Amino acid sequence: MPEIRNFTLNFGPAHPAAHGVLRLVLEMDGETIVRADPHIGLLHRGTEKLAESKPYNQSIGYMDRLDYVSMMCNEHGYVLAIEKLLGITPPERALYIRTMFDEITRILNHLLWIGAHALDVGAMTMFLYAFREREDLMDAYEAVSGARLHATYYRPGGVYRDLPDSMPQFLPNRFRTEAEAKRLNANRGGSLLDFLEDFTNRFPGYVDEYETLLTDNRIWKQRLVGIGVVSPERALQLGFSGAMLRGSGVEWDLRKKQPYAAYDKMDFDIPVGTHGDSYDRYLVRIEEMRQSNRIIKQCIDWLRVNPGEVMLEDSKIAPPKRAEMKQDMEALIQHFKLMTEGYCLPEGEAYAAVEHPKGEFGCYIVSDGANKPYRLKVRAPGFAHLSGLDEMVKGHMLADVVAIIGTQDIVFGEVDR
Amino acid sequence: MSFNWKHYFKTFSLKELMQGMGVTGKYFFERKITIQYPEEKTPISNRFRGHHALRRYPNGEERCIACKLCEAVCPALAITIDLEERPDGTRRTTRYDIDMFKCIYCGFCEEACPVDAIVETNIFEYHFENRGENIQTKDKLLAIGDKHEAEIAKMKAADAPYR
Amino acid sequence: MAEEFVTIEINDQPVQARKGAMLIEVADNNGISIPRFCYHKKLSIAANCRMCLVEMEKSWKPVPACATPVNAGMKFWTRSDKAKNAQKGIMEFLLINHPLDCPICDQGGECELQDVSVGYGSNKSQYAEIKRVVQDKDIGPLIETEMTRCIQCTRCVRFGDEIAGMREMGGVGRGDRLEIGTYIEKSLQSELSGNVIDLCPVGALTAKPSRYKARAWEMVAHDAIAPHDSVGSHLQVHTFRKEVVRAVPRENDAINECWISDRDRFSYQGIASADRITKPMLKRDGHWYEVSWQQALDATAEILRAADPARTGALASATSTVEELYLFQRLMRGLNIRNIDHRVRQTDFSDQSAAPLCPSLGMPIAQLEQQNAVFLIGSNVRQEQPLLNHRIRKAALKGAAVMALNPRAFDFNYDVAQQAVAPADMLQALQAMANDPDNAVMATLKNAEHAAVLLGNVAVQHPDFAALRGLAYTIAEQTGATFGYLAESANTVGAWVAGVVPHRLSAGRELKQAGVPVGEFLSENTRTFVLLNTELADFANPQQAMKALSAAENVIVIAPFADNTTRKYATVLLPSSTFAETSGTFINAAGQWQSFKGATVPPGEARPTWKVLRVLGNTAGVPEFDWVATEEIVAELHLELDGVAVCNNRYAGTVGRDAKSCVSTTADGAFQRIGDVQMYRVDPLVRRAKALQAMIPPAAVQLNPQDAANMGVAAGDTLKVSQGAVTITLPAQLDAGIPAGCAGLQSGIEVSNVLGAAFGALQIAKAG
Repeated sequence: MPEIRNFTLNFGPAHPAAHGVLRLVLEMDGETIVRADPHIGLLHRGTEKLAESKPYNQSIGYMDRLDYVSMMCNEHGYVLAIEKLLGITPPERALYIRTMFDEITRILNHLLWIGAHALDVGAMTMFLYAFREREDLMDAYEAVSGARLHATYYRPGGVYRDLPDSMPQFLPNRFRTEAEAKRLNANRGGSLLDFLEDFTNRFPGYVDEYETLLTDNRIWKQRLVGIGVVSPERALQLGFSGAMLRGSGVEWDLRKKQPYAAYDKMDFDIPVGTHGDSYDRYLVRIEEMRQSNRIIKQCIDWLRVNPGEVMLEDSKIAPPKRAEMKQDMEALIQHFKLMTEGYCLPEGEAYAAVEHPKGEFGCYIVSDGANKPYRLKVRAPGFAHLSGLDEMVKGHMLADVVAIIGTQDIVFGEVDR
Repeated sequence: MSFNWKHYFKTFSLKELMQGMGVTGKYFFERKITIQYPEEKTPISNRFRGHHALRRYPNGEERCIACKLCEAVCPALAITIDLEERPDGTRRTTRYDIDMFKCIYCGFCEEACPVDAIVETNIFEYHFENRGENIQTKDKLLAIGDKHEAEIAKMKAADAPYR
Repeated sequence: MAEEFVTIEINDQPVQARKGAMLIEVADNNGISIPRFCYHKKLSIAANCRMCLVEMEKSWKPVPACATPVNAGMKFWTRSDKAKNAQKGIMEFLLINHPLDCPICDQGGECELQDVSVGYGSNKSQYAEIKRVVQDKDIGPLIETEMTRCIQCTRCVRFGDEIAGMREMGGVGRGDRLEIGTYIEKSLQSELSGNVIDLCPVGALTAKPSRYKARAWEMVAHDAIAPHDSVGSHLQVHTFRKEVVRAVPRENDAINECWISDRDRFSYQGIASADRITKPMLKRDGHWYEVSWQQALDATAEILRAADPARTGALASATSTVEELYLFQRLMRGLNIRNIDHRVRQTDFSDQSAAPLCPSLGMPIAQLEQQNAVFLIGSNVRQEQPLLNHRIRKAALKGAAVMALNPRAFDFNYDVAQQAVAPADMLQALQAMANDPDNAVMATLKNAEHAAVLLGNVAVQHPDFAALRGLAYTIAEQTGATFGYLAESANTVGAWVAGVVPHRLSAGRELKQAGVPVGEFLSENTRTFVLLNTELADFANPQQAMKALSAAENVIVIAPFADNTTRKYATVLLPSSTFAETSGTFINAAGQWQSFKGATVPPGEARPTWKVLRVLGNTAGVPEFDWVATEEIVAELHLELDGVAVCNNRYAGTVGRDAKSCVSTTADGAFQRIGDVQMYRVDPLVRRAKALQAMIPPAAVQLNPQDAANMGVAAGDTLKVSQGAVTITLPAQLDAGIPAGCAGLQSGIEVSNVLGAAFGALQIAKAG
């Protein structure tokens, strides 16, 4: 009898369901996965090493590009570590803005996840609906930072600029009459906060629609229920965090357990799953979107009535206002020095983590007292999740690999760094 | 296990599938949200960080004084500046190159500029056809600034109170 | 006086301090930072910026740390609220009138004002009125001023007084109208003036040649050793995109303290001169052709192999590194060429076999300032070795008696008992001293605890050098003084040690068959010349050199530069490196071996000189010629030296107690030329430094007023000056420091390139 050998299959790195540049080497026994070996590094850009050669602030933009679907949350982890080492706390308004944008980012991330996940599993339309909502949120990103994705908005000591009081408007053109443009501009008449409030009012309805499309859908359930089950113990051992951990029933959320920004003042719930399968993780993320919406609403209410500074008035860390810089000698010197040399962190080390949409995103900074980090280590949640992939897919069918990659919400920017 | 009529009804009536079709059906008759790009564009924020431009003073003199702050603050090392002393004693650039391939559009150059010379405009549609065109020279940047000065001035004025 | 130590408390920490030391000094020694502008450890204390205010126990007011002597039990707080507030307040005052120039200021990024403002100042100014504007001054081609930026710390003023020895800058006006300047608009003349650039804490005084060249953070710093004089000052050469854009001092208390001379600071400009050769070149039928290195080296090797060793001369400049010089002589001797020399400015070689291993200072540089009596013979030390002069000046200010015997009265920035006698009479004057133990000079030297007799460049270049040296040595011996040489070039000591002399091998080892010195082989009889970094302007007698070089069949030039004159006589040009482009070693006057690494790479196809020489050696087939690093070469030379002390000036020659001077004074109506070398024309690199060239006064003939009156010449009159067959016209200058019958006309300068011997006879007549 001829020897029967397992078949080895290359999955990716150019597979559309590989979520970027994942290369999986799958050992197959027929249709069943015996072993899955993720090969990473195709998107490695040396972010950590690059950071060692530039002043602290100059690396903020590179944090955006780690997990490029939850930009501001990455920035948050980085600036939080710097703030921790400097021993500063930003003004309260900045904290609320950060909280709000962290949650906007969470919704952005989950929307992309549900769109892509559903698409992988076979539900085409979800992608379109999810991107429709993302459009509004990216408008908010652009309004506040000037970029729709890579914001570079958070700074140690606060955020770069306050929220704008007006939103850009649609203009009538040959495809759109004045009346139509006016209709499109209906939610753009006021400030960014008005725009976001309008969104938060609409959004729960959209989530209901997603649920109508997916939650009870028999195909969706057949593809997700019982797929990629992770026991709570195992999830903890594997270093899972975020929805991957909560889906397994472990109630762990940094926003509650070690609140940062303004989360201690927010009223929200943490959803947890019971079975630890992909379907539970789906439900957890859907509920997280609703909770995020709640948090955004609370932030909007607070931000409306509490104007103020959004950046620490500490000339050693934050550059002065532009108007001052142009006529005040002290301010000009501070500006000049901050732009060329940046600021120095005291000698020491700090780890700060945020509840990133994907899990615990942390930055570990070692400072030797210079104006650039001696070492920066990024703790990316996706890396731990991906290393649990082998265990999760073992014994499943080939098609389930796609569902499990989807449920892990992998983004290679952060895994490869 | 008891026989569940409800469950059977749901299954054979394709209830949840029909509900899903209902959602898509609803949007079939909704107003379209499509934008007719490129003839029509979505609105752009005053803070937008697009292609760079170098500005001039109203009297036509370049604003840039070659202080090299933007070069120093650029995380991607995309900016290269050479300078000279003009006969009138002023400090001006002889070369101001931005490598658009290196640029990460973080906006730090604009933040650093003490004279509002280098700005990021709302131009986001540009392309290169030949090698080397990714290097935007001083002349090109000034030309962009000249062409869009009114718009740039408006954008920057609108955002000035926040910076 | 024994130093008494006391314990004080700074920031609640007990600190040991010398009693009476200023607090800021104590704090600096203990790593406690106190902001300051006017205080500088090498300058006197002015206490006028008030930036260093600190809180003192039992003092109601904060006290300036730079002017508070410490005593036992005193307690200070440098970062208490009181001190901080005082510092903040002072900083705000200082910035009131400071212009918003940072973006266009060269100092931006390395500015003490910026640093202190960020570290100790407040966030915001309360001053909204109009700022003061000060009119700019032009103080010469080396230093750029922007006096509005000045914060009146007066460091530059005190520097002029205390270090440069000439008060060139000062304050005019009072209060907020106080302006620092040069009273009358003129350029700074001090040979150390560039140091005010480093001293100035703000951007008021910046380097003109490197103005707007590069930002502080863009430059890459490389350690280097100054290539011009035998001090071997420690430099930091800053490069920007591989181009040298400035040189600044590196602190080394044993050598240059924190100063460097202007020559060392600004000579880097010559590196990028238009005269740079960037490709090997061969001359064929009077035309120059660019060739590949292989072709050039093959041609050179062919010439050298074919040359008759007896009719070949090899000359190397003492500004080359030890490695280059060592390889040079190994290469030549490997090819049997024995006429090797570096002493192109010297004319008297009669006692060369009695000379010590090398002409060294005889003591560490810092010891110069401990001397109680110094006797300078034929030395314009202030221009020749500015930082050795600074040491002697320090000694003089402490009360040392400085005496000099010179062919003319040179300018000193301290009191010198200077005897200016005509070159022909120097020997006689020295004989008189040596023969008379009760002579004032002898007596002073003898009575001094530490005394030194130092031979300067002029003495070495003097036609009676051997006799002068013998006498000087005797004087030193008789009085118990240290005998030393103020060595001429950066590597004069190294050239002797490396054996670039006709009569000795490297490390002073004996040579079986000696060659002849440059004075003898520099003639039409020599058919082939090899010149390493040597140009026409380097020769003691350019006329003679030009004649010899032009007559030669082949002149191989290994140098970074070639001007039109060089191209006239040269037949092969091998482009090599300057000091900033090669690794190497200089041995300074005190015998310190100082190695450095290249700061940048030579332009075009030029290569580090030692590599050119090495490959040339391989091409010419010289055996055992395979070093791969300069370190190996130095190690080999060290092995050859085998522990022999470099700094031993024992002289074994005869003493010319009744020698006759060989300075020619015979010709009727002839003047004795005093041709000391212009300080900014000493070597090829500095001759190409634009800013320094602008510092050279216009060429003139200096005459004794009595002689001038006899000739009916007034200052400014045009004179016809002839030496040999050449006649040039120059304006006359009257100088009482010129002995009668002499004429001062410096060597190295452009016009003297066509003239003859530096200490020869000059025919001078009134023109028209």
